[in-house]
Amino acid sequence: MRSSRSVDLSLTSPWTVTLLLFWAFPVAYSLLIGFTDYRLLIEGYRWVGWDNYRSLFRDPAFLTALENTFIFVLGTIPVTTVLALGMALLVNRQFRGRSFFRSAFFLPSITSMVVIALIFTNLFSRGGYIAFLAEMAGFSPPVHGFLYDSRTALYAIMGMDVWMSLGYFMLIFLAGLKSIPDELYEAAEIAGASPMRTFWSVTLPLLRPVAVFVVVINSIKSFQVFVEIFVMTRGKFDTATGVYFVYEQGLTTAFRMGYASAAAYILFVIIGVFSVLQFLVLRRRTALW
Amino acid sequence: MVDRRHPLLVAGRYLSLTAIAVVMLFPLAWMFRVGFMSPVDGLGVTALTTAGWTFQNFRDLFTQASLGWALFNSILVGGLVTIGNILFCFMVAYGLARYHTITNKVLFASVLIVLMIPMHIVTIPLYLLCLKTGLYDTYWVLILPWLVNPIGIFLVKQYVESIPPSMEEAARVDGAGELTVLFRVVMPLCRPALAVLAIQVFFTNWNSFLFPFILTSRESLRTLPVALALYQGHQAVDWPHLMAGSTVAVVPILIVFLFMQRQIVSGITAGAVKQ
Repeated sequence: MRSSRSVDLSLTSPWTVTLLLFWAFPVAYSLLIGFTDYRLLIEGYRWVGWDNYRSLFRDPAFLTALENTFIFVLGTIPVTTVLALGMALLVNRQFRGRSFFRSAFFLPSITSMVVIALIFTNLFSRGGYIAFLAEMAGFSPPVHGFLYDSRTALYAIMGMDVWMSLGYFMLIFLAGLKSIPDELYEAAEIAGASPMRTFWSVTLPLLRPVAVFVVVINSIKSFQVFVEIFVMTRGKFDTATGVYFVYEQGLTTAFRMGYASAAAYILFVIIGVFSVLQFLVLRRRTALW
Repeated sequence: MVDRRHPLLVAGRYLSLTAIAVVMLFPLAWMFRVGFMSPVDGLGVTALTTAGWTFQNFRDLFTQASLGWALFNSILVGGLVTIGNILFCFMVAYGLARYHTITNKVLFASVLIVLMIPMHIVTIPLYLLCLKTGLYDTYWVLILPWLVNPIGIFLVKQYVESIPPSMEEAARVDGAGELTVLFRVVMPLCRPALAVLAIQVFFTNWNSFLFPFILTSRESLRTLPVALALYQGHQAVDWPHLMAGSTVAVVPILIVFLFMQRQIVSGITAGAVKQ
């Protein structure tokens, strides 16, 4: 083939450019300025070594943000995973109206996060629907609404996150269920296994890779929660998470970009370690089942 | 498999399905309803029965607030980014699928790595980069960085690899140039994958908030999510207008969803099950 090398290089050039300019450079650059006291509006900066990292771990705002992030991740993921699997099982079999229910459950997943956050700000308000439901159930809702109370705000946002993630992960589980061969179910039926038994011994073990995917993807997503926090509380009432802290430090009033970049890298490392751990732990247990 | 179980079990199934459907659909239905409410608080349970229906909120948004601009921006940016992704993801995917060089191995590895990089790590450097290059607060910044994306490359590359290269070879033997082979022979064959890609990119872009928010400041450059998120901000929230604006942002997506569900679903599950 004539000059196939240059054809090849020009074919892939859009990615090469995007990769270098918008990914490789930023990732390297934020590592670098994480070791400086760089601020946007102040001329000049100096190398401060690990100082940013040291002060971050002594910064109560950052520690609270980390704590909130972990509460968010560890609180939402088990609930989302179990409910999404349950919903997938409910709509897996053929029955009348199945596609309606599937679409209905999936609808929140294609809706803009900003819109969902606005709707739930309304629902969580004082005098809103969720306060009404809480009263009906015999609870007394927070006086100023769920989002204006440090005891409930973060959990309210977590509840919304579960609601909006269910449809997407249901679809992933459905795809996983479809990939389980029918013969296995037939074999289980011939062997006289009860539906419960079949679920525990056939469905669940074979769904393991999909479940690993769901948990890992969901935690990577939840570790970066930002939009909901920005729209619903602006980080107030004890809801600031890691990425919100990065935004607040680096891109608002003080523009402490060095400090914020160091915080971003700490989160980056936590996400990386967490994903690898989950992957190893969830994979390992396959042998036991 | 048709459900041949006890009628009570079937009833139980439908009951739980309906309950879940109500929980999943109510917030969106409420948004729609409040968007059409005449000026009331648009909050409480009583508003559902007492408030009237009106188009006034939508009229206000397009005449007084700049929602028309935001809608225009979202359509323009979404359209250009989608076209860019169809073209560039296809080119890159074809290159990676057909030319097995060391450079391409490295490039494909970079696609997979970028897929795993959390977005937040690039926010600050990207902000600085755009500030220094003059891209900040222009249309360019809403478009240029997003013209090709790793998931798209991955998706289309899988598809190109499933197409036998004999067609391309036959075309080359007939004297077709590389461009003809690329755009007249292979691209039409990839249409199903490109449709999936297009919808996925358009949806992501239409709903995207973080980067349009960080990288622009002018009101005339706001896309719908940015305009809506910043419309709030006051203490007493004007719910009917805000929910009317939200309805404007949701309805186009809803229409595409109703007509192209199959493509949307296969786009979402493409990466998941192959693991």
